[in-house]
Amino acid sequence: MSIFLYSLISGILTGGVYALIGIGLTLIFGVMRIINFAHGDLMMLGMYGTYLLSTFLGVDPFVSVLLVFPAMFLFGGLLQKALINRMLTSVAQNQILLTIGLGLILSNTVMLIFTSDYKTVTTSYASSTLKLSENVSVSAPLLVAFSITAAITAGLYWFLQKTDTGQAIRATAQDRDAARLMGINVSRMSILAFGLGSALAGTAGALLMPTTYTFPQIGSVFTLKAFVITVLGGMGSVVGATLGGILIGIAESLSAVYISSGWKDVAVFVLFLLVLLFKPSGLLGKSRT
Amino acid sequence: MWKRLLVLGFTFALSSTLAAQKIGVINTMTGGEAPIGENITNGIKLAEEDLKKRGFPLTLVWEDDTGKAQISMSAMEKLASRDQVIGVVGPYTSACANAVAKRAEQYKVPLLVPAAAKEEITRQGLKYVFRMNAPADKYASSLIDAALALGKPRSIAFIYENSDFGTSTTATAKTYVASKGIQVVADEPYPKMNADYRSTLAKIKSKNPDLVFMVSYVADAILIMRQAKEVGLQPQAFLGGGAGFTTVEFARETASSSVFSCTQWTDDVSWPGAKDFGKRYRAKFGKEPTYHAACAYESMMIMAGVARDAGGNRDKLREGLKNGKWSGIMGDVKFADFDGFTNQNAHQMLVQQLQGGAYETVFPKQFATKPSVYPFPKWK
Amino acid sequence: MRAALKLTLFLIVLGGLVAFPRMVQSPYFLQLMILVFLAVAQGQSWNILGGYAGQHSVGHAAYFGVGAYVTLILLQSRQIPPWWGIWAGVVVAVIVALIIGAICFRLRGPYFVLASIAVAEIMRLSATNLKGLTNGAEGILATDIPSLRWGERVVADFSISKVPFYYIGLGLALLTLGVAWGVAHSKLGYYLQAIREDQDAAHSLGIPIARYKNYGLMISAALTSMTGSFFGVFVGFVDPPTVLGLDVSVQIMLICIIGGMGTLYGPVLGAVVLVPLAEALRSNAVTDLLVKVGAVSPESKVGLFLKENLSHAHVLIYGILVVLVILFMPEGIVGALRKLTARRRREVA
Repeated sequence: MSIFLYSLISGILTGGVYALIGIGLTLIFGVMRIINFAHGDLMMLGMYGTYLLSTFLGVDPFVSVLLVFPAMFLFGGLLQKALINRMLTSVAQNQILLTIGLGLILSNTVMLIFTSDYKTVTTSYASSTLKLSENVSVSAPLLVAFSITAAITAGLYWFLQKTDTGQAIRATAQDRDAARLMGINVSRMSILAFGLGSALAGTAGALLMPTTYTFPQIGSVFTLKAFVITVLGGMGSVVGATLGGILIGIAESLSAVYISSGWKDVAVFVLFLLVLLFKPSGLLGKSRT
Repeated sequence: MWKRLLVLGFTFALSSTLAAQKIGVINTMTGGEAPIGENITNGIKLAEEDLKKRGFPLTLVWEDDTGKAQISMSAMEKLASRDQVIGVVGPYTSACANAVAKRAEQYKVPLLVPAAAKEEITRQGLKYVFRMNAPADKYASSLIDAALALGKPRSIAFIYENSDFGTSTTATAKTYVASKGIQVVADEPYPKMNADYRSTLAKIKSKNPDLVFMVSYVADAILIMRQAKEVGLQPQAFLGGGAGFTTVEFARETASSSVFSCTQWTDDVSWPGAKDFGKRYRAKFGKEPTYHAACAYESMMIMAGVARDAGGNRDKLREGLKNGKWSGIMGDVKFADFDGFTNQNAHQMLVQQLQGGAYETVFPKQFATKPSVYPFPKWK
Repeated sequence: MRAALKLTLFLIVLGGLVAFPRMVQSPYFLQLMILVFLAVAQGQSWNILGGYAGQHSVGHAAYFGVGAYVTLILLQSRQIPPWWGIWAGVVVAVIVALIIGAICFRLRGPYFVLASIAVAEIMRLSATNLKGLTNGAEGILATDIPSLRWGERVVADFSISKVPFYYIGLGLALLTLGVAWGVAHSKLGYYLQAIREDQDAAHSLGIPIARYKNYGLMISAALTSMTGSFFGVFVGFVDPPTVLGLDVSVQIMLICIIGGMGTLYGPVLGAVVLVPLAEALRSNAVTDLLVKVGAVSPESKVGLFLKENLSHAHVLIYGILVVLVILFMPEGIVGALRKLTARRRREVA
């Protein structure tokens, strides 16, 4: 029983951080209908940002989020303005290839600068735990990461629901042409969306650094993970992606205990296919035919 | 006019025979396997520097195989036919080394594999393929032998990367423990970059194994030990069978203390030049040398040394490698045929333990620098 | 007249390719040519589904891997020579294609792309986990390939030279080219293109969409599987990341898109440009060339810098080139060439 509880809790906590990656992807997809294959690489950039700040300036990884978030926002907005905005009307496969090429450029540039060594940040609290009961404890850094994630998600939700800009982004996501007719600056919304998406991915990277590690090619694994999360939650839905992330976190952690670790990713992808087939609008979305 | 043409023709003829000191290097310099490949690059660069200092007219032709077998093959074809190298050191990964080994035999180009672990590479009776490092089965047996010498373990749990190296090392470990009467209670492969091992470790903890055998690279090794502490996994010993457990990053972690690991090389071993190599490596590259670096260094030193005497003749180079005997930073090296292996260096693996943030060799006895800590101390 | 010119040109090129191994003995160039043929065949197989039918699969590694695995498993565990194994691979690939088609063709656009990735990933992970069948992550190493005999005569001995592989690769490229030509000029091809242009309109015209998409997929899968078999035997080794990885799918798609989708020449041009380019970047040919020309001395600072960094940066340069091509030649090389000739014709007129 305690193994179950333990896995459940650590699954939820890890899933929370996954959710952040998924939200970023879902935002980009919602507004631009582009599947961003470079999403994991943006997360990787955030990891390196935190690594730099922590190793050379002694900034605590969790505090580094304050710098990583705006930096990644600017970088993402710049990418959108310089490259992706030019491709909004082109065919889907070219958009895919563009982001794939972008991912190659990002990961290999980082490799030239930092070499391909694994990088970790060392903190005093890396393996400290909070005891919940005799047999169940949770990782303290993971709990902090989860709390920050929750705060950011709540803030983002408020931004999208309550502010004019947020509503304009949502309107663009719903119907690009209608939004344009309503006088919304669609290209600016796209820049905002890609900037926010990148910032969220980068922040997720920063939050993962105290408990994990990075190297230039780490992105691809997380890109795939982000795809799964967004599809589960329904592409374009922020709440969906949050739940999708947590669900994947739980599924990974429980299946590692009850199935074998090797097969757990198969289970994840089968679930992914099933959702695509029977509920393409996501677990939460209204069915569309 | 004629004279000039003649001279031209002559130099052309000359350049088409093998340049005596042109040696190829195939390594993984980009892509997912590059983090380890980097150490091999560094080891060979240090060898190049030393050889040039000694006045060897050496030219290296570097080829990046990006960790893909077919590209490794292309690199070998290029080295063998276009660059006309006399011999090749590399490649790093087992998959690439396997693919390249056959071509080496086909073109009769001596190939010295510095650090690929798959046993088959030198088990196919290939005459032109040599290997410096001890293959995968030795990783497992040396660690388990050490544990058996220190205590009476009855059960073992495996947690390992589901890569070629991870699964093949674990497979040999399973056969070996079966012959020693140790029971396997958990068998948990995981995909690279998993980030969360807590639930797997909790599952292993519930089986209460005497030994926990892990095969991982650096970052996963660190995470597994951090999370083992979190979970409170408490076996008699943690055995780390993989490069990840022998790095300075791993040593820096408090959770890593008292973990046993096995390695092809350390710089505190009594092999000639090992300490000096470690010192110069740190000075040049600003990081700790790994066994990959040492294997690659010694491979290049041997290859270049024999190549100088072979005078551009690949068969002479092969004979030189086959019949030679060396003693350097990897200890005594000889490429011999035994137990189904061909041209395999019977390298002695070392078992070390992290004590106070430093690796101490504890097994086999004649190389030991400190007594071992056994069983694993209680987590604080 | 133009058709006759085209045919003559094709025959001249073909003649040159057939004679190539007699003129060039270097195994390195033969290897490069074989990789080009392989890429042509891969790109052309993808083209049938992606180019003509507009179904952009990012999961073709699934069929490639099936071909490679089936052939090598049969060769290693049952001693069945690859020229039989390749057909077994085709059968399995078609069955897999039918299953995948039933799942993925219910989805459109980005959903189809994601589903195709998921299926290929499931295959890769299964191959890693099904140790009894595939030997897991350790992969399968082919020992010797038996020689192909005709009665008593040895037709092709694979252990001595690359030449048999060269001709098989050439044959494979021609086969896919022929099949693509046949598809493009048949009812199937017209239907597929109608589906690509407007699926709903095609449906209202009475084209059985699902059936024709599946036909396209089956042909594409069968051919891709053959390229996989060829690759497996040629390299002599398969493991999950080499033949089932996401980058394999991307590479297959890249050849066709860079070349020009939905055209016969597209994948050919894509392969002819991309494979040598990647190899030139990887082997640092630029530095070698500069040194040979005498522009930089190999011992100078610039020379050392280039040597040191270009060998690490080749994937980066490749990525930059891909992005540039997508930005400035959105219809691939064929599209760009067409624009160029159209402009010239207008100028002449």
